[in-house]
Amino acid sequence: MNRPAPRWIALAAFAATWAPAAALNAAEAAPSAASVQQLEQRIDQMQQQLEALRSEVQALKAQNNALATQQQQQQQAAQTQVAAATPAPSGGLAENLSLWGYGEIYYTHPVHDSSLTQFDLARAVFGIGYRFDERTVFNSEYEVEHAIASAEDRGEFEVEQFYIDHQLASWASVKAGLFLMPFGLLNEHHEPTNFYGVQRNFVETLIIPSTWREGGVGFHGNSALGLSWDVGVTSGLDLNGWEINPEEPQYRTALELEANNVAPMQATHQELQLANAQHLSQYLSLNYSGVPGVLAGAAVFTGKAAVPSSPPGLPDQRVTLWEAHARWTPGAADLSAVYAHGHFSDTATYNLANVGASNPLPAEFLGYYLQGAYTLWQRGGMRLAPFVRWEHYDMGASFEGIPPGFTTVPTGLAADGKPWPQPRDTVWTLGASFYLDPHVVLKADYQSFHVNGDFTRFDLGLGLNF
Amino acid sequence: MDSRILMLPLAAVVASQPAHAIAYLSVEQAQQLMFKGQTLTPLPLALSADQTAQVERDSGVKVYPGSLRAWRADDGYFFVDGVIGKHDLITYAVALTDDGKVHQVEILEYREAYGGEVRNARWRAQFVGRRHGDPVRIGADVQNISGATLSCAHVTDGVRRLLSIYAIAIAGH
Repeated sequence: MNRPAPRWIALAAFAATWAPAAALNAAEAAPSAASVQQLEQRIDQMQQQLEALRSEVQALKAQNNALATQQQQQQQAAQTQVAAATPAPSGGLAENLSLWGYGEIYYTHPVHDSSLTQFDLARAVFGIGYRFDERTVFNSEYEVEHAIASAEDRGEFEVEQFYIDHQLASWASVKAGLFLMPFGLLNEHHEPTNFYGVQRNFVETLIIPSTWREGGVGFHGNSALGLSWDVGVTSGLDLNGWEINPEEPQYRTALELEANNVAPMQATHQELQLANAQHLSQYLSLNYSGVPGVLAGAAVFTGKAAVPSSPPGLPDQRVTLWEAHARWTPGAADLSAVYAHGHFSDTATYNLANVGASNPLPAEFLGYYLQGAYTLWQRGGMRLAPFVRWEHYDMGASFEGIPPGFTTVPTGLAADGKPWPQPRDTVWTLGASFYLDPHVVLKADYQSFHVNGDFTRFDLGLGLNF
Repeated sequence: MDSRILMLPLAAVVASQPAHAIAYLSVEQAQQLMFKGQTLTPLPLALSADQTAQVERDSGVKVYPGSLRAWRADDGYFFVDGVIGKHDLITYAVALTDDGKVHQVEILEYREAYGGEVRNARWRAQFVGRRHGDPVRIGADVQNISGATLSCAHVTDGVRRLLSIYAIAIAGH
């Protein structure tokens, strides 16, 4: 009929004519199978190219590494040539030879008697070492004491060390020859730059007879956990060295006390000089340094000694020395302590054969000290460190074979009009070390003696090592 | 344990064989220990005269050409260096993190008769975390081991020198 269509029908018709067109457009926007295939091919190509690029990059990396290694090797070769021309870090003159040394000079001034003031080149020491192979080394030290050694002079020239050391395994080495005994803090580290005080302390000179060395064989090692051990068999003591009845006191100053070899083991150790070796001695030393800044250790030495030849038929006598030591270095402080105790067994017979002697053989001798030092000022290699030490030594802590009515030290006056010195004392030392450099030290101290008051002294010292 | 003690005198007799230094760790073992599973590439390290002078001034330690070798790891640097103890060379390895902090120190070879306490793990652990510019000196900053003073002091100097070389020649500032 020709009635005009209602509006909604017109709209629907309009939409109907456009819908297929729109649908057709939409169909055109979705890719055809052909173009999908094209795209896939392109992606494949790109993937191949990526793979090719990746392997190229890897090849380049490998080449780079090879070049870098080559370059390093060439550099190494070049630098080795340069190193051959310039001196490499080495401790010695020629490739396997080492030379080192140390020395000290003392000025000692007893404050109560300036006529006893002394100035002494206490020791001049040089060391020679030779490395045989990567595991075997020879070390030796030679010493001149008191500047001049001759029949008419009071100095000595001696061989202090002469031994070979060989690394057997990572945990053990063996040494043989004349070597330092691993006792106390000072004996193995006795260079003047390594201890406080002008002269060495009394405990580690009179009780532990530094510089104490014996001949023999030792095994030693240290573990990564911090335990070090040292055990061996060595020459022992000869009691014939003991001066049982001197007419005059053997020392009149503290300097002489340390230098004149009068203390129990100082007088009787043999230092491998035509040593009587009928009996050998043994030692064991243990140290723990697992905590940085802390050291603690102990050692024991024991063996039969050669007995005095007169009177004949003396019983066997045994020497035993044990010691314990500790050191702690918190910050700028340096605290240390040592205790040492020695025994001579069966001394009664020998002392009874020498009744009234001025210097009977002791059965026991001991000493101990506490020391504190503090680095007050430091700049580069220069360092100022004051210290204080309290020590007690007793070269005659007990005796056997002294009949009632007899004394171990003569009463009355000696020929020089002064009383005989007592073999025991408590000493306070107050002083300072001034290091010009870690190898050169100027020292000053004041020592106050409680028993032998006239030993009280003021000292100056110069020490060096290289 | 017993057989080892019996072997010691035998070993002493046999000791006449020429020997290599006792290596506690080889370079490869140290590399694996410090940078587990990583590949290390050698890093050429050639200091110019200027840089050498700078390092010596900065660290206060002499530089010996050829004694320091370097490797680059995925997340850090590996070095092999040598210092003299008292007379003999101590070979040691140092690992640095990417930002130049000490991560680990190991002793590779120790030849001297005494002073081997530098191998103590706790002593070496003192270096961990230090970087160039931090104080690294024996005594105040790094505790000494009594009886191994020279070895401790010289290894400390070596680490200080190494940190200096890293800062001047590798990190470039």
